[in-house]
Amino acid sequence: MLGKVLADLGKIGDVEASAVATRDGLLMNADMHNMGDPEMFVAMSATMLGAAETATTELNKGIPNRVIVESDNGKLICMGSGPKALLVVMTAPEAGLGLVLVEMVKATEKIGKLI
Amino acid sequence: MIATGIPKLDDYLHGGVPIGETLVYYAHPGVEGAVFGMQSLFHALSTGISGVYVASSTEPRRIREQLGEFGWDVDAYGDRFAIIDAFSGLIGADSHERYVVADPGDVRSLTQCIHNAMEDLREPGVLVFESLSTIMDLCGESETLDAIEEWNQYAMLYDHVMIYNFTAWPYSDDTLLSIKENICDSTVSVGGIVGDVIFGQYFGVLKANWTDVVRKYILFKVLKPGGVRAYIPKILVTGPFDAGKSTFVHALSTRAVSVDRFGTTIALDHGHVDHKGFAADIFGTPGQERFDPIIKLLSGEAMGVFLVLDSTRSEDFARGKQMLEITRSFGLPVVIVANKQDCDGALTPENIRDKLDMPENILIMPAVATTGEGVFEAFETLIDMVTGV
Repeated sequence: MLGKVLADLGKIGDVEASAVATRDGLLMNADMHNMGDPEMFVAMSATMLGAAETATTELNKGIPNRVIVESDNGKLICMGSGPKALLVVMTAPEAGLGLVLVEMVKATEKIGKLI
Repeated sequence: MIATGIPKLDDYLHGGVPIGETLVYYAHPGVEGAVFGMQSLFHALSTGISGVYVASSTEPRRIREQLGEFGWDVDAYGDRFAIIDAFSGLIGADSHERYVVADPGDVRSLTQCIHNAMEDLREPGVLVFESLSTIMDLCGESETLDAIEEWNQYAMLYDHVMIYNFTAWPYSDDTLLSIKENICDSTVSVGGIVGDVIFGQYFGVLKANWTDVVRKYILFKVLKPGGVRAYIPKILVTGPFDAGKSTFVHALSTRAVSVDRFGTTIALDHGHVDHKGFAADIFGTPGQERFDPIIKLLSGEAMGVFLVLDSTRSEDFARGKQMLEITRSFGLPVVIVANKQDCDGALTPENIRDKLDMPENILIMPAVATTGEGVFEAFETLIDMVTGV
């Protein structure tokens, strides 16, 4: 079921890899196309999201909606998906964030219902 | 006894399957069940036992390829390995195997081949069935059940061991129950976890006539090459600042990464361990107090914990104990690693126990993470505690 949600995300242009994990960094499902080690990828993403949430709540700014990392070779977007899970997506550098973000929000809602 | 070669399973079965007895891997649809039989076959061959594989749903050539993908070169064992080809007859292909079933749709034709193979096979040998389910689909449920009883009797008479792979497709309830509980001397269930937070596969013994059943399920992963590995998705490595946690993770792991700046871990260490049939993912936490929120975040769902201590710094022991609290490790299997035993002034594990005021049942093991000394001993100890026998 999760695989279907990720496969749908993969159909959006410029989405290169995606994964669902628990908030504490355990892999649940990944669509990585052999890009790397999914276990390690989600462990690091979970740490990033968790660290970002701690940093902003420390200053009473609430929980961030997402973490976006931009590099010359790609963009990485990580967002919570219900209280237990998170979704992370890696795109090509020229990807338009608008569509990807809209689809990711839809996906996180579906994932939240599945878990 | 013929060992199954599946990690931990032989411990649960008290060494394996006794000569003349039978085992069925009862797999739920959708999990990787077929590899269990293949691994048992190869393990038998590699320990000097003869083995026959009953191919019923795949071409023999393709079976050799599949075994090769796991790194199991069965043809190296020459005469000790044979295939009963119950597939080629179905598609009208030629077969060069030692035993060829003329009409795979007729179970008597298969029984004849099995009988011949058992006579030829030097005892004790092992017969592994690729898929009982496909035989059942071709020959009929009740016919196959009757035949299994006959084969099992042959196994007893000829001092061989039978190992069946079976996938629990929606057959009649009687058939499923019969395979699960009656027809074989032992049943190992292979299933998948769905709907829970961890998505994974597990196996466990449902029945074994020769020993008490250990009611314990083991998560597993299938590696290529390698085969079935008992899998522990999360082992936590925690401890005070500069105790050697990252060094410990790297000493254990076949590959690992660390997020560190200025020599200290700021996010986490992550490593894969592949050791003696066990695969585990290791999460190392930072040690400094300002990172405590991250430690809390990462420590959920751990199945076991290493607390790494610098044996020369007794002033940090209280912090170590506090970290067990932060990670909510009480109740989980914990091994305390008394690291830096090679340094001057290192306390012995017993001294550390006194200073920590730890009860006798918590193990404290000496180690030198920089040289790898004691690291795998600690790992094996924790694995034993996690998987329990």
